[in-house]
Amino acid sequence: MSQAITTVHAEQDHPQFLQHHFNDMGQQLDATKIGMWLFLVTEVLLFGGLFVGYGIMHAKHPEAFLAAHHYLDRTMGTLNTVVLLTSSFTMVMGVWAAQTSRRKLLILFLVLTLLLAGAFLVVKFFEYQHKFELGLLPGSFYTHRGDTVPGQFMFFSFYFLMTGLHGFHVIGGMCAITWLLIRAIRGDFSASYYGPVDLVGLYWHLVDMIWIYLFPLMYLIS
Amino acid sequence: MENTAHSHPVTSPKVYLGVLAALLALTAITVTAAGIDFGAYNTVIALIIATMKASLVALFFMHLRHDKFNAVVFLGGVLFLAIFLIFTLFDIDSRVLVLPGNLKAPVQEFPGAPLNKPVRPSTGSAVS
Repeated sequence: MSQAITTVHAEQDHPQFLQHHFNDMGQQLDATKIGMWLFLVTEVLLFGGLFVGYGIMHAKHPEAFLAAHHYLDRTMGTLNTVVLLTSSFTMVMGVWAAQTSRRKLLILFLVLTLLLAGAFLVVKFFEYQHKFELGLLPGSFYTHRGDTVPGQFMFFSFYFLMTGLHGFHVIGGMCAITWLLIRAIRGDFSASYYGPVDLVGLYWHLVDMIWIYLFPLMYLIS
Repeated sequence: MENTAHSHPVTSPKVYLGVLAALLALTAITVTAAGIDFGAYNTVIALIIATMKASLVALFFMHLRHDKFNAVVFLGGVLFLAIFLIFTLFDIDSRVLVLPGNLKAPVQEFPGAPLNKPVRPSTGSAVS
């Protein structure tokens, strides 16, 4: 099937990456973008459930959340915010490089984005390690002693679920960016075909956007 | 939706750099604001700044300012999240005690309790 299509495409001098069911590259890009945005909406609602749960418990147990959040390192949280915002910038610069057919710059910006994502996870690792050592774990795994306010474990249930799920999204994004990097090195992307870079970029910005809300809710309670 | 190149305009890197600078400045502002006591408004201020940052990311990095169709799709999702949140909070507001599902009130001890006395996890007050 696909071989037959490839042959037909070759005969008609068809753009290499245009799927046969689209009229042209512009239509293909618009259609795939709608699909990506619908997926992002489901992601918003997935995290939304956790944010609503957080809002309820925070509203009902403000002292517990305030006391518990002091175990988080605000400096590390701010550092990670800066790292992730900068990675969003390098990602969008990658999209720009693809849109303007700058292959070397695209590779550079994708590598920078990967490095920043890695840096984010390294900082997160040290934060998690600190909490594991103190027994600040979710729900019934909470073994920390010496709480001054009851119910502090609730904060850490939300902390680990929300930052953990976010962390998995960062790892997923890194896999997608690695795939883009391989294709960019191969020279697939240009001004006429940059859809995958654009779509992974959208996903990466959503991951950034979720962190933009997680940061004040977790680290900046007062 | 047009298929012309015009529907996918290329933004200048200078604009992206400006947006990054604004995002970092807003991060500095929100960290500073968290250190000042505004009472109950601290959370509101933090969420307003976060929404400003998210809007910058959506409008510039995600190109929603040139992409009205997908802006409607995205705002539709956000609208349903708002309905979810607001109606749940109405309900929660009418309840006195809200506890996690893995705890039954009152409990003999809660994880991390300094003294293993029977307490209500929500308030810490002793159970008579």
